[in-house]
Amino acid sequence: MASVEILFKRSVFRAVLIYTALLAIACFWLFPIAWAVSGSLKSGGEISEPILFPAHPRWSNYTEVFTLMPFWRMFFNTVFYAGCITAGQVFFCSLAGYAFARLQFRGRDTLFVLYLGTLMVPLTVTVIPQFIIMRVLGWTDTPWAMIVPGLFGGAFGTYLMRQFFSTLPTDLEEAATLDGCTPWQIYWRILLPHARPAVAVLAVLTWVGVWNDFLWPLVMIQRNSLATLTLGLVRMRGEYVARWPLIMAMSMLIMLPLVIIYVIAQRSFVRGIAVTGLNG
Amino acid sequence: MASVSFEQVTRQFPGTDQPALDHLDLVVGDGEFVVLVGPSGCGKTTSLRMLAGLETVDSGLIRIGDRDVTNVDPKDRDVAMVFQNYALYPHMSVAQNMGFALKIAKTPKAEIRERVLAAAKMLDLQPYLDRKPKDLSGGQRQRVAMGRAIVRRPQVFLMDEPLSNLDAKLRVQTRNEIAALQRRLGTTTVYVTHDQVEAMTMGDRVAVLRDGVLQQFAPPRELYRNPGNVFVAGFIGSPAMNLFTLPVADSVVLLGDWPIQLPREIAGAASEVVVGVRPEHFELGSLGVEMEVDVVEELGADAYLYGQITDAGKVIDQHVVARADGRHPPEKGSRVRLHPEPGHVHIFRVDGQRIS
Amino acid sequence: MTSIDTSAAPRPWRRRAWAGRLFVAPNLAAVTVFLLFPLGFSLYMSFQQWDVFNPPKFVGLKNFRELFTSDPLFLIAIRNTAIFTLGTVAPTVLISLVVAGVLNQKLKGIGIVRTIVFLPLAISSVVMAVVWQFVFNTDNGLLNIMLGWIGVSPIPWLVDPQWAMFSLCVVSVWRAVPFAAVILLAAMQGVPETVYEAAKIDGAGGIRQFVSITVPLIRGAVTFVVVISIIHAFQAFDMVYVLNGANGGPETATYVLGIMLFQHAFSFLEFGYASALAWVMFAILLVLTVLQLRLSRQRSMEAASGLG
Repeated sequence: MASVEILFKRSVFRAVLIYTALLAIACFWLFPIAWAVSGSLKSGGEISEPILFPAHPRWSNYTEVFTLMPFWRMFFNTVFYAGCITAGQVFFCSLAGYAFARLQFRGRDTLFVLYLGTLMVPLTVTVIPQFIIMRVLGWTDTPWAMIVPGLFGGAFGTYLMRQFFSTLPTDLEEAATLDGCTPWQIYWRILLPHARPAVAVLAVLTWVGVWNDFLWPLVMIQRNSLATLTLGLVRMRGEYVARWPLIMAMSMLIMLPLVIIYVIAQRSFVRGIAVTGLNG
Repeated sequence: MASVSFEQVTRQFPGTDQPALDHLDLVVGDGEFVVLVGPSGCGKTTSLRMLAGLETVDSGLIRIGDRDVTNVDPKDRDVAMVFQNYALYPHMSVAQNMGFALKIAKTPKAEIRERVLAAAKMLDLQPYLDRKPKDLSGGQRQRVAMGRAIVRRPQVFLMDEPLSNLDAKLRVQTRNEIAALQRRLGTTTVYVTHDQVEAMTMGDRVAVLRDGVLQQFAPPRELYRNPGNVFVAGFIGSPAMNLFTLPVADSVVLLGDWPIQLPREIAGAASEVVVGVRPEHFELGSLGVEMEVDVVEELGADAYLYGQITDAGKVIDQHVVARADGRHPPEKGSRVRLHPEPGHVHIFRVDGQRIS
Repeated sequence: MTSIDTSAAPRPWRRRAWAGRLFVAPNLAAVTVFLLFPLGFSLYMSFQQWDVFNPPKFVGLKNFRELFTSDPLFLIAIRNTAIFTLGTVAPTVLISLVVAGVLNQKLKGIGIVRTIVFLPLAISSVVMAVVWQFVFNTDNGLLNIMLGWIGVSPIPWLVDPQWAMFSLCVVSVWRAVPFAAVILLAAMQGVPETVYEAAKIDGAGGIRQFVSITVPLIRGAVTFVVVISIIHAFQAFDMVYVLNGANGGPETATYVLGIMLFQHAFSFLEFGYASALAWVMFAILLVLTVLQLRLSRQRSMEAASGLG
């Protein structure tokens, strides 16, 4: 029957079109990374050869990175800073988010709007005075400068948690209040365990943000022993100019932990975004 | 304007063990208002969606007019659909919602405006033409959904439970409006509902479906008077028909202690039959089967008696519902005799099929 | 405790109110110390001349005057920033709309492509810049190798002032699209399926559905993406610094405001001047954002009255 063929062609055509688009999109976003991976496994001479997989992959590039740079030191630093700030953000932002969502006090909503307004202030304006403050406190080139500013949470995280908490039904809290729980107990024992998706989103976003941050470490840190991975990468690139295999290897090493976490957490992360109402 | 026919249409959703629609054969005449009714999961919405082209057909044929549309895109079928949740375009005004299809068909603007205004007038939507769906009440949104369908002047109207989201009073009012509209426009309409009252009051013919199988397709009166099987008998009519499964003895069945004579052909054929009598077909009097009244529902003009049948004075486990005159209903706890009106006793085989 | 409750509100309410204030206190304290105070302080500094070692000297509006009248680099930075912002935001929005639209299908294997496209979200701008630097490398880079296959001579992507900005924009778009696409995709998935069914019956094909239904219904998310992208592009620093160098690329081809700020603050140690620059940037950004929000609100009102 003619109509069958037309329909078949149309849906096949459409499927082909979409799959082609998908392929093109996937390629465009993969190819630099693929090229970097292949570059990280080549020797200096093979660099300009357009092959994806070198005949003898030089895994030694990776081990060389460890000898040339205090990689583990920087890795530890980055994990340490990210861990502290993430823990702090999650705790303080969820606490404040709960307060803004559920605890009544005078001026609460105006305060929240003003607080959110601070998100508008660009980093460029605050970077210099923050540097001065750190200098005055004597914290430049110390771990304190890396941790303290972000430790107590920020407007974005609080916004996320507040949005999430306001979508939870109030029954549990009301029952707990009737049972005599203090606000702290309600927060700690009841709300926080239920806040897993939003906390996950916040934690991942914060962790990734700190891990990948560049400007602040660049401004604050001189010693390599306190450097973060991104800072280390740029310094390494400066020291070992045009030694692409090494530079690519280090890039991959920095990228890898996050990518692994991301691939594992991807599904719940996207769901978490919907839950916290980030989609506009 | 055209006829619609389903020919041996089957659809089974992947992962289920029963087909949603099992070899459905149905023909809707040109200009006819047909209602598909049945409990949820019976396949009525699936049939409608297949007719719209939103659901694929596993096997069988669907025709609109003489045209085989089984594999044709929805947009080429010339049908319009009113969705249960209206599915209005939230970002468009009422006028834009109604004119969208025409705009796609590249109809000249003047004609679009004319047709939209005409439909709006028919549905009392003129003051709302510039509003967005979120600024409208449920009833108004429902009318916009209808307007969207009317403007297109399609060959077939498809309606998927359009009244289920309205409150009771609005439902009755809108029901009549829809029926009047259809009569006026004369467009072939296929209407899906789970409410048998809607089905009985609106349809020229009603198709009762259950578990994907067509039970009976007939005008409402026929369904009421001569239900084809036990399911239809119990589904149509409110309160539902009383159905008693009784053993046959000597070409007679005993309802309590009241004998009902069976025609000879049936009597010999089975050892058990199902006897059906509607509550409104019992006469209260001195003759008939006795019941003990448990609950009396007084509805003003009528009263409904709920109770159990007695056999030689003792209450047995057979429930019965009977209608009585609302002016002097029997008391709770009293015993009354119910005489089934002759000619209104339905006999079914135990497997469900009607015998007489 | 047997103290008399003299306040008007019942006890539990007061406790909750105090708890509320206590709970938000750390957040607000941090914001005050690390954001509001620096904000004010930087304004104060913009009227000073200061190099950290010597005490600050009050110079009134001198910094601002100098910025606007006698600093040619400022104009270059403004121009470059404008080009960069436009060259990043416009392609980002368009491409991410298409990408999100393609990713919004229910096809087999779409999950893999989604994972791939969203991968750059986990990657640092710095790493991206380093990697792309390798791709763009004049002698060894992938692009020039591929161009060599079709007989085109190598292009000095990062070295030539004409190409440097283009390369920067490419990397910037590569980075920005995944983020935008996540947001747009999430918004698209919020559109109810029945609206598409109604459109299908009304005669809309795939593209028509996308243009007339999907895009208008995610208007909020699109505005959000546009605003965020502009704010981000305007202040770009990380990527520019790593890709094109601390001096703003070959012959200041990529000398953007972010680089200028960093340079004056941390290379030249002119904190007063840099603060003045920072405040000018802030002011421009504020005006831009307000304009955009007003524009989008106006547009949505026009659409409501049937003109859109």
